[in-house]
Amino acid sequence: MSAEPLLRVENLVKHFHVRLGAFGEKAATVYALDDVSLDIQEGETLSLVGESGCGKSTTGFTILNLHRASGGKVIYKGQDLTRLDEKTMRLFRRDLQIVFQDPYSTLNPRMTVGEAIGEPMLFHKLTTRAQLKDKTAALLQDVGLPTRFASRYPHELSGGQRQRVVIARALACQPKFIVCDEAISALDVSIQAQIINLLLDLQEKYRLTYLFIAHDLAVVRHISTRVGVMYLGRLAELAPRDALFQTPLHPYTKALLSAVPETDPERERNRKRQILQGDVPSPLDPPSGCRFHTRCPIAMEVCSRTVPEWSAARPGHLVACHAVNSGVS
Amino acid sequence: MTARNAQERLLDVKGLTVEIDGRRGPAVIVDGIDLHVGKGETLGVVGESGCGKSLTMLSLMRLLPNKIKVTKGTAEFDGRDLHKMSTRELRKVRGGDIGFVFQDPMTSLNPVMRIGDQLCEPLIYHRKMAKADARKRAVELLRLVGIPGPEERLEAYPHELSGGMRQRVMIAIGLACDPKLLIADEPTTALDVTIQAQIVDLVKDLRNKLGMSVVWITHDLALIAGLADRVVVLYAGTVVEDAPVDDLYANPSHPYTRGLLASIPTLSDAPTARLSSIGGTPPEPGRRPAGCPFAPRCPLAMDICRREVPKLEPISSGGSHRAACFAVNKALKAA
Amino acid sequence: MTLVQPNPAIIEEEPPVSLWRDAWHRLRRNKLAIFGLGVVVLLAFVAISGPYLTPYDFLSQDLAARNQAPSLAHLFGTDDLGRDVFSRVVYGTRTAFLVAVVVTAIALVIGTTLGAIAGFFGEPYDRIIMWLTDMAMSVPNLLLVVVINASLKNPIARWMEAQYMATLNPFYRETIWIDFFLVFGSMALISWPPYARLVRAQVLSIRTRPYITAAMALGLSNRIIMMRYVVPNALGPLIVSVSAGLGTAMVLESAFSFLGVGVNPPTPSWGNMISDGLRVWQHYPHLLAAPAFVLGLASVAFSFLGDGLNDALNPRGTK
Repeated sequence: MSAEPLLRVENLVKHFHVRLGAFGEKAATVYALDDVSLDIQEGETLSLVGESGCGKSTTGFTILNLHRASGGKVIYKGQDLTRLDEKTMRLFRRDLQIVFQDPYSTLNPRMTVGEAIGEPMLFHKLTTRAQLKDKTAALLQDVGLPTRFASRYPHELSGGQRQRVVIARALACQPKFIVCDEAISALDVSIQAQIINLLLDLQEKYRLTYLFIAHDLAVVRHISTRVGVMYLGRLAELAPRDALFQTPLHPYTKALLSAVPETDPERERNRKRQILQGDVPSPLDPPSGCRFHTRCPIAMEVCSRTVPEWSAARPGHLVACHAVNSGVS
Repeated sequence: MTARNAQERLLDVKGLTVEIDGRRGPAVIVDGIDLHVGKGETLGVVGESGCGKSLTMLSLMRLLPNKIKVTKGTAEFDGRDLHKMSTRELRKVRGGDIGFVFQDPMTSLNPVMRIGDQLCEPLIYHRKMAKADARKRAVELLRLVGIPGPEERLEAYPHELSGGMRQRVMIAIGLACDPKLLIADEPTTALDVTIQAQIVDLVKDLRNKLGMSVVWITHDLALIAGLADRVVVLYAGTVVEDAPVDDLYANPSHPYTRGLLASIPTLSDAPTARLSSIGGTPPEPGRRPAGCPFAPRCPLAMDICRREVPKLEPISSGGSHRAACFAVNKALKAA
Repeated sequence: MTLVQPNPAIIEEEPPVSLWRDAWHRLRRNKLAIFGLGVVVLLAFVAISGPYLTPYDFLSQDLAARNQAPSLAHLFGTDDLGRDVFSRVVYGTRTAFLVAVVVTAIALVIGTTLGAIAGFFGEPYDRIIMWLTDMAMSVPNLLLVVVINASLKNPIARWMEAQYMATLNPFYRETIWIDFFLVFGSMALISWPPYARLVRAQVLSIRTRPYITAAMALGLSNRIIMMRYVVPNALGPLIVSVSAGLGTAMVLESAFSFLGVGVNPPTPSWGNMISDGLRVWQHYPHLLAAPAFVLGLASVAFSFLGDGLNDALNPRGTK
């Protein structure tokens, strides 16, 4: 990977300060993201997977500066986005868009579909008022909605249709990079497939780069170029799609893959699952050393003491695991 | 007649119709559903949101929200019609012979009551147990669902447990009175995959141990493949296909089932870029088209589909695999 | 294998419905609310066009026709000075509406501004403003009004006298304005805290909505987000609250005038008319009944309208 990446994330850290207890008397820190580094190449789909609380959505939000980073850098066009104030950041927002999980609450209920899509175009001066209607219509067609939807209100649309509107609104900014934050998780199965196909078509048409955040591994396998697996705020493994699914290295990746159900009764009944014991520990008090060691089937003594190094086990296949690094597994 | 058909039916729902008193007048949400569950059988009920799968189950317990009513049909449980029982009798069935596990363990547990008290409540109410015996049984139940340190957990409040643990507590409450039937309404939807795998294995294990029947409501066809004996597919308030689990996945017949299966990406098939998908969206209640509700989205739709409602008809020799589709039946007769 | 081809989305042709229009449809089906709206509109009309509606001047005395029962000449009869009660009730409506509208407007401006600042900018403004709000709310209404009356009435009167001497502007001779200034000021002082709290709570809750984050991600400016995303969504509860506030202000004005700390005779107010009527109600019940009935009607009308608006604008509660 010699090409200059579209976006480079270096040692990104995000802590949230919260107050606990009935009267908020205890201050605590949520270690949401810890030392996350990755490059995003132009035109690729990089997916982040992991269980809830693993920091995959926080990564997306922090990259876009919707959460202020507590440390580390996000380099885009030679600028460190984490250091920009909101006013300067606004200049970059056009390029860097996001599609959220819940299409029901990310649209302003008082604005029509046309207004929602037109607003960013007018604000960023990407169109004149005279052309607005045509451009809005073109965007609606791009996302597979009839142009008459421009005069509709969000509450009149189904979940899948709303998500199409949200995608059209992101496209209205003519972005280079879109974070899809669980963009299909709230949708029904038959609608999910429609939206995935739409995202793929648009990627091809507009040469978009996606950071695809999801928990459904099967979906991720279908659309990704590379996949990163996160656990409790850290990257556990990052590899090209086929390498990750065919020869996963990290024990957590293996466990995740083995937990995914398949539409084959015979195989499902007979298959030996490697079921992880227990729950994900609290990010308020993450385990020392490798954060996975409390649930890891091959944990060694060193795992609870030192943080495993983030290193390339094979070219392009990065992993953070003592066992892999020392060749035990 | 196969052995499965000869099986005694524990739950037998016939022609169940549920209507909502909506903005545009009454609208049918569940349209004459037939369902049955044999003793010891696990039935998967699959459908997308709004297909009526949850309302069907809530209607059995007469727990429907305001403005939603059962207008037709019978639901026999162990030979008695649930809809004709007095409220008193019904209360004995709820939480007694039929256990319920809801989707969201966060909101279905009472946040101000200790886990132990919530577990003991049905035991004291239904089984007339003394408090001390109920607590002993509660500890057993927590151990049964794999909660470590059950004695201490009795004193915990729901917010002190993780999502997976809470769902285990919900299952323990559902199992408290040795139900003959456990109805689980999307019990793993709010959980992560690794926790989902734990819960699925737990229920499989408990079913084999306790010999109860299970109805597992879900939108995830993959999830129940290894769990159910038989699967019923719902679309827009009607049963479109009903088949033994192996038949359904090996030989899906209704175009909706086929479309649904094709649109689920799996880890084993070749990762093609595009997924096959079903166009359009399911009809809203009250705006269902005349004829087959799937016709507007169906690639095989014929004229008759837009005029008449297809009936659920056997398509396999044993009659255990049934589908409601004119196109499938026509192809069958032609063959 | 593409077994299932996408079909075009199916949607029936119906005109688009905005949430506002949706709310209007719900309101229209609510009979009590429509009754309330009708009465409010009627009273407002009476208040605005009062002088053209009344057959007599509200001050003109006809000592030959004192304490008359209602008749065609005097719809609500006459009082102990022979003044036409109907005309006085109409002018009382004027007083009530003037006070209610001005007080609510002042309270709304103060409350909304402070509430929005507290909600949008957070600490330390939030803490200071909420502290002010709590202070204002902790003062007993009636006590405050009595104190203001006792302490400020004379200084204001002297100031106006001095202004008149200096400018000879006849406006400063009208002692009636002293009453109004005092009533406006004291009532506005106790009426703004609920608006501040409501607006702050609305802004706080709307700020966390995903569509606000979405708008920020689109790179829109704070001003646009405030005007196009926050304000329209906060308006519903505010409208309900203003409707209720107008009714409350009317009743409050009557109560203060009844107790002699509001609008004083000879300016007609429902409150001071009730106070006058109460002394002779055994002999001349119509003197009490007429203003009391209109006050009751107005209060009920605003209450019905407020409830109706609440159900219409926040439909979750009606399930």
